[in-house]
Amino acid sequence: MTDAELVVRTRAGEPDAFGALVSRYYDAAWRFAYHMLGERADAEDVVQDTFLRAYLAIGRYDERDQFRGWLFRILTNQCRNFLTSRGRRSKRFVQDDLAIETASSPPAGVAPGVEDVALVRALSQLDPLQREALLLKYAEGLEYTEMTAMTGVGESALKMRVKRGSERLRALLAKAPDRDA
Amino acid sequence: MTDAPLPFPSGDEGHDPFADEIGERLRASYRSLPAAPAEQGERVARAVLATTMHAPSRRVGGLRPRWWWGAAAAALLVAVVARPWRPDLSRREADSAFAAGRNALLPSGSTSEEVGGTVRFEFALPNGARKVSLVGDFNGWDERATPMVQQHGNGSWSARIPLAPGRHDYAFVVDGTRWVVDALAPQAPDAGYGPTNTVVVDFEALP
Repeated sequence: MTDAELVVRTRAGEPDAFGALVSRYYDAAWRFAYHMLGERADAEDVVQDTFLRAYLAIGRYDERDQFRGWLFRILTNQCRNFLTSRGRRSKRFVQDDLAIETASSPPAGVAPGVEDVALVRALSQLDPLQREALLLKYAEGLEYTEMTAMTGVGESALKMRVKRGSERLRALLAKAPDRDA
Repeated sequence: MTDAPLPFPSGDEGHDPFADEIGERLRASYRSLPAAPAEQGERVARAVLATTMHAPSRRVGGLRPRWWWGAAAAALLVAVVARPWRPDLSRREADSAFAAGRNALLPSGSTSEEVGGTVRFEFALPNGARKVSLVGDFNGWDERATPMVQQHGNGSWSARIPLAPGRHDYAFVVDGTRWVVDALAPQAPDAGYGPTNTVVVDFEALP
């Protein structure tokens, strides 16, 4: 069943349809939020808020849009607002029980199912807007035109954020402590 | 849409090995992150649906006002945005706070460019408001400068103002004190005054 069909059924009052949308996109939303916020609990909170707002606003969803893009617009707004409420300060990275420290090795050195903690830690030290731009561009695979529509920011500004964010991230990763050191 | 690994985005970054490296590392981090447990999504769906008894309406104007919409929307905004009681690292269960009402609706705004260089701002507020004004970089963020007009007494407000092409940040002020943004519209970076929406005006795009 397509997203559009699930939206129609959600509007018609079928709770299972909305549950299916949540199941379909929860993991993707959570991955983005976790990389944006750097903490699992915060990511879970923000994603739940996002789905709540999406449900309350489902009547405003335009079927011509991709549901995922619409959802991620809400999600990026919620991440920004969360970071604002957190004082926009650099948050100390808190390693939870499931996190496994990895060396600042190339991607091939990160085993499947093992979290790239060094990357998430480095991301948390970026300017939030650069972090957002990098994740939308590379992890979500959006084109700049899509990013502009989602964020309201011009293409040249987004390109600059991606460029500077990439440079800063690379420098941070180069300085990351090696596990084996 | 699936969560299959995404192809490398097209564009000039594809020729930059430096960007290639960062991009691949980010995508690898996504792939390597253990999947969120399925029950987590199910719990979220249950939590959201627990706050509602009926399907959301397609249009604000098509709903009959009920007294608790206002309370629910206010509770939602406080619970989700402000969370003044929230400790920094624990609020997983506090989301039940938005269960203060059912069928709550979010404030919603929209903009439309018109021939002649004006932009029409519309704002729908589920609960009643005595007055609503539009503030933005175009009027010095002065809540007295651009009052909005209520349409038909149904919680829908509008204002029409001339704007230069380009990006403008704006927000709505309810009853002279409460700044509200549309959670679904693009938001501008916070300049220290809280979230604001943003619109890019381009009259040349008009049909």
